[in-house]
Amino acid sequence: MKQFNKIIIAGLSILLVFTSFNGFSQAAEKGDLSIAINYFILNNKVPYLMVKTTAKINGKFTNLSDIKLKLYLDKDSAGTFIGDVITNEKGEACANIPLSVKKEWASAVKHTFLATFAGNNKFDANKADLTVSRAKLLIDAGSDKTVTATVYELKDTTWTPVKGVELILAVKRLASDITINETPTFTTDSTGKASGDFKRDSIPGDVNGNITLVAKISDNDQYGNLRIEKTVPWGAKFVAVSDFNKRSLFATRGKAPIWLMFIATSIIIAVWSILIMLVINIFKIRKIGKEAL
Amino acid sequence: MENSIENDRIINDLLPQKFGKAGKIWVGFLVAVCLVGMYAYYRQLRYGLIVTSMRDYVSWGIYISNFVFFVAISLVGSLITAIFRLAGVKWGSPLTRIAEIIAVAAIIFASLIIIVDMGSPERFYNLFLYGRIQSPIIWDVIVITTYFFISILLLYYPLLPDIKILLRFREHSGERLYKFYNYIGSFWKGTPEQFRLSEKAINILCISIIPVAFTIHTVTSWLFATTYRPGWDSTNFGAYFIAGAFLVGAGSVVVAMYVFRKAYHLEKYITEDHFEKMGRVTVLLALLYLYFNVNEFLTPFFKMKKSEEGYLNGLFSGDFSVVFWFAILVGIILPVIILLFRQGRKPLPMFIVGIMVVVGAWFKRYLIVTPTLLHPFLPMHDVPASYRHYFPSWEEWAITLGSLAGTMLIITILARIFPIIPIEETLEEQHEIIAHHETV
Repeated sequence: MKQFNKIIIAGLSILLVFTSFNGFSQAAEKGDLSIAINYFILNNKVPYLMVKTTAKINGKFTNLSDIKLKLYLDKDSAGTFIGDVITNEKGEACANIPLSVKKEWASAVKHTFLATFAGNNKFDANKADLTVSRAKLLIDAGSDKTVTATVYELKDTTWTPVKGVELILAVKRLASDITINETPTFTTDSTGKASGDFKRDSIPGDVNGNITLVAKISDNDQYGNLRIEKTVPWGAKFVAVSDFNKRSLFATRGKAPIWLMFIATSIIIAVWSILIMLVINIFKIRKIGKEAL
Repeated sequence: MENSIENDRIINDLLPQKFGKAGKIWVGFLVAVCLVGMYAYYRQLRYGLIVTSMRDYVSWGIYISNFVFFVAISLVGSLITAIFRLAGVKWGSPLTRIAEIIAVAAIIFASLIIIVDMGSPERFYNLFLYGRIQSPIIWDVIVITTYFFISILLLYYPLLPDIKILLRFREHSGERLYKFYNYIGSFWKGTPEQFRLSEKAINILCISIIPVAFTIHTVTSWLFATTYRPGWDSTNFGAYFIAGAFLVGAGSVVVAMYVFRKAYHLEKYITEDHFEKMGRVTVLLALLYLYFNVNEFLTPFFKMKKSEEGYLNGLFSGDFSVVFWFAILVGIILPVIILLFRQGRKPLPMFIVGIMVVVGAWFKRYLIVTPTLLHPFLPMHDVPASYRHYFPSWEEWAITLGSLAGTMLIITILARIFPIIPIEETLEEQHEIIAHHETV
């Protein structure tokens, strides 16, 4: 019996040692990485893609940096390769549609973009796709300060106006865009047009009063993100007012305000005149003392 | 004949006395502390301000606190000498020399300690060559220089009649001091014309020192108040600083009165009545300063603006609360309570109260400077841990203590060279008293 107990204890000890050795445990489960593809085209020129990678970590969606992705046009093959990208600290990476796929791009009115992630030690391999129809956006500024945007879709070989597309008419500012009037969005009619009156007359422009009008379609399921800009002289002319090199409390020493210099100098002269007078007074006392000898 | 004997006795009592054993130990101790401070300053010059604990946020530390403290103490010259004189307060005359000596010593070290705070003191002269008149720092440089000269003149003019007396006691003073007295005041013959010119000069000095004294401390307060920071963004600062300066000045005079009275056996000249009256002055100043403190802290506490919350909580209940409540309770409230009682205005309690006021005032200056710098409007991000806290390095302590010792050394040396109580004025008062008794 004693022998049996010894075997049981020895066996349990070995088991305990093995359970603490992670070589016997399963590899930690990898996280799920999700990829989002966004399509952009600015001023109807070279389109580009922006991909974003996120994952749910500790219950929160977190942007993933340093994720390497491969981007393709329509199919996963060397001939339609757009490029390799690596995400930044925001989890984002961008790539222009290169000249190498120009032929494929021109051959169809609708395209599917593919993004593939090969996987790493933290995340499993994954891929995503996005299909967009080729479209273009035009902007026109009327003499009566009306802004008109027109949306066209490429059907077969013809650019055809599209009805019912929601877009924004705005003025480009430094950090964001401001709508041309109180209406947040406009919808195109049967001619593919959407118009709005410009009501930002006092908006500051550049030195010539130029501002940049913007028409944009954002996150459209069919067309992606389109944006077009046009410069018009509808803003208020910017007149630079510079306090540099003018007399002020914060200017250089040579540009002190006159009133301050006057007051300060007056006080200094007044007080130090008294002090000098009092020093001279000592010499007077001294002279009297010598004469009294 | 009786008059002459009495005069000789007064002169004998008030002539500067050589250092006894205790005096020599005291001077030796002060010199030693100064030497340690000088060594620390050598290290600061050699290695730069990195030897201090001042960093990007706390760029004004214990040196600037000390500077404000010295400027505050120096105001006592204008209080005791000028304000008392112009107000016709006769009892204050034995204290005028003490006040002036303290003022001169303090203003010298106020000027020096500001240079110590500079990273490149060899460029100090640039302040005069290229200073911007728009900057309160330049106003402070101008006004401190002015105040220094006024204080020197206010010490020197009333000394002239005493120097004539000192020159009569060549054997007592020794050859070197005799030569010095001869150099600075042998021309004083005590002619009516000399007295007239001297009296006129002293009156002008007394009138001009008051606005300059107010300016020196107001401008020092503006060094802070013109900067947009929690705790400094106050319109109360000028008056608050001046009230505090008068209090610490009065406290320092009380301490000096007690020490000189004991050391030189001046009980007949600095009487209990002087302590009684200085006690009343001190309690009035403490109440005034308490009023300004209530103004300074109660309204921000009531509003508790988000941007000032960290600073105020740090003072009231945080890292600085022990020092804050020490400065308020020990430096202001307890002195008020003690001095309200007649027994509290006796020499020894007054001496203790004087020390409480001076020590409390020193820490109060530290609280004006440092907590604000640790609570900027824009929160600290990504900075080394040493930037978030401030505790002075040993070099800073050594230099600060060295400067305090240096101030006391100057006071001690001036008290050794010159009569600590004006002899001529005391004699005059004595004659007036006798003349008054004879008339009655």
